[in-house]
Amino acid sequence: MDGLLYDILVALGMGVAGAVAFSLIGLVSGTDETTTIAPVTLLVVLLGVPPVGVFTFWLAAAVSKHMTHAVPTALLGIPGDTMAVPLLQQATALRNLGVPHIALRKMISGGLIAAVIAVPLSVGFALLLAPFGQMITTAAPWIFLGAALLIAYFSAGKWASVFALVPFVLLVVALQTFTAKFGVKLGVSYFLGIAIGPLVADLFSVLSPIERGRMHRDGPRRFSLAPDVKAWGGYFPNPFKVLDRAQLAWTTGAAAVTSATFVFSPVAMTVIMGEVVGARIKHAYHRLTTVLAVRNGVTESTYIAEALIPLIAFGLPLSPVAAGPAAPLFNAPPRFMVDGPGGQIVNLHTLMTPWQFLGYGLLAVFIAALVAYPFAMNYARVAAAFVSRRISHEAIIATFVGLVMVIGVWEGQLLGLMVIVAMGLVGGLLYRVLGFNTGVQFMGYYTAVLTVPALTKLITG
Amino acid sequence: MQGASTPHPSLARPPAPPSRTRPAGHLAEVWGDVVDLRHLAAAVVIGAAVSLGTYLVAARIFAGFIAVAAVGQAYAMLVGLVGCLVSGVICARLFAPKREVLETAADPAWRIAALEQLAGETGSIGSVADLPPEVAAEMKELGLYDLFASYDGDVAQTASRPQAATKGA
Repeated sequence: MDGLLYDILVALGMGVAGAVAFSLIGLVSGTDETTTIAPVTLLVVLLGVPPVGVFTFWLAAAVSKHMTHAVPTALLGIPGDTMAVPLLQQATALRNLGVPHIALRKMISGGLIAAVIAVPLSVGFALLLAPFGQMITTAAPWIFLGAALLIAYFSAGKWASVFALVPFVLLVVALQTFTAKFGVKLGVSYFLGIAIGPLVADLFSVLSPIERGRMHRDGPRRFSLAPDVKAWGGYFPNPFKVLDRAQLAWTTGAAAVTSATFVFSPVAMTVIMGEVVGARIKHAYHRLTTVLAVRNGVTESTYIAEALIPLIAFGLPLSPVAAGPAAPLFNAPPRFMVDGPGGQIVNLHTLMTPWQFLGYGLLAVFIAALVAYPFAMNYARVAAAFVSRRISHEAIIATFVGLVMVIGVWEGQLLGLMVIVAMGLVGGLLYRVLGFNTGVQFMGYYTAVLTVPALTKLITG
Repeated sequence: MQGASTPHPSLARPPAPPSRTRPAGHLAEVWGDVVDLRHLAAAVVIGAAVSLGTYLVAARIFAGFIAVAAVGQAYAMLVGLVGCLVSGVICARLFAPKREVLETAADPAWRIAALEQLAGETGSIGSVADLPPEVAAEMKELGLYDLFASYDGDVAQTASRPQAATKGA
């Protein structure tokens, strides 16, 4: 019993830490999930935090960030994250109508309800899939190849992304072979390079006279910050009162359905479910608010499902989220690995039971509901004003440049740093020019690590 | 969103006199927001130097008294990440944001523009009579009920409306 109490206390502490830190990070627009959550979670893993603490930290951080990234999306009209992009159109319409706070409240209340639904359902679906676990694990190299092709085709680049996988995978293999000459095996550097790619590509572009002209701006960026109106007494708003009955029903239904989808990108599911629901609501105002609640809910449920189902059922990162922001839960050498001796898996999949995933998953959502939800509902306007007036974009870029330096040098000295920059520049430019997005690039990385060795063995015998 | 990406019709009229005090020649959009390129260069140097410096010093110190090298380096990385945040704080104090935040209540012209856009998407904004009572109550509380009701009524009467829309943001 003492062991259980200890686990719960660790999980509680780590969950609160994740929720507080990422509630604040979420307010800074443009901070990508993968760039922020993955390295910090990696750190938590490497510092030796018990498995339930790692898991609760990650989920509380992700759910909290999803709540506060709605603040810049709704109040400033800039996407808080790539996942918030599908919500921008409706949020902007409500902002122009003078009620951005309504957009915010509908979004995060939908997200919270969806998160509560998604945790148990994802655990359930994972248990249904678990009997196929051994089969999946044995066939992993080929499944990753299939998933990479599928995710590539469904990215913005379509066939261009599918074909671009070949040189991209080759680049990863080439870099790995090169660093192996010096006895250096890198993992995180590839992740970080891919995640931070858009920034690296932009920093190089702005140095080039050709691209600088395109990026030039005549004046500062203008935002209008709308006034806020508080509609409840006390500190804790009730999500069931923020949404009306139709919205509750649609959000719950969409969240339940999408909790089973774990291979598609959250952004794609979000767009599709929004269209499905939007087409069924006649009045424009009601359609705007309902689509926002449903879309943000779906973002949350798909996200949770994509992380939890592969983690619980297979222990292999077989989805865009599992391969991206949740990557350190699967693979964080030397502590967690998917390609241990003899193809052995050691990670949260082997270290936690399904009941623990359910219990600590709900605990994480509960912590986020207590920390991030009332914070975003009560202080959205103050926080948005502070961030947009005091935190310059230069400061954010400086922080991320620092992150690249520290992680690169920590993992592989100068080689680590060079790999991050190389992956970032190539990945970032491919993303911008071809629509070969970060999720596809992560799958490309796994193809290089898992499929290429299997393929070489098959061909050379 | 709207303001930042609206191209300036510089061909249509002579260049306006520089009304802003900020020298605009160095502004560019990098990674989704506007920066001053001179400030950006300084910020990159500060970010790299402060973070890496912190990490290397911490690694040196931890190497002295932590036996397992990997653990010492993990702690140094943690300190290095604090260094990243410190460099962010330094740059936030040195360089002001290149954003103009306007505190505005809803502009009636924008409201009309937003309604027209909504009507354009599906052909109609729908009738307030179809709304569930709780949604109607929510709209009344926000002062949107009459706006939607009258817009719907207007459109029903006159098919064409004068262009009330102005460029937003």
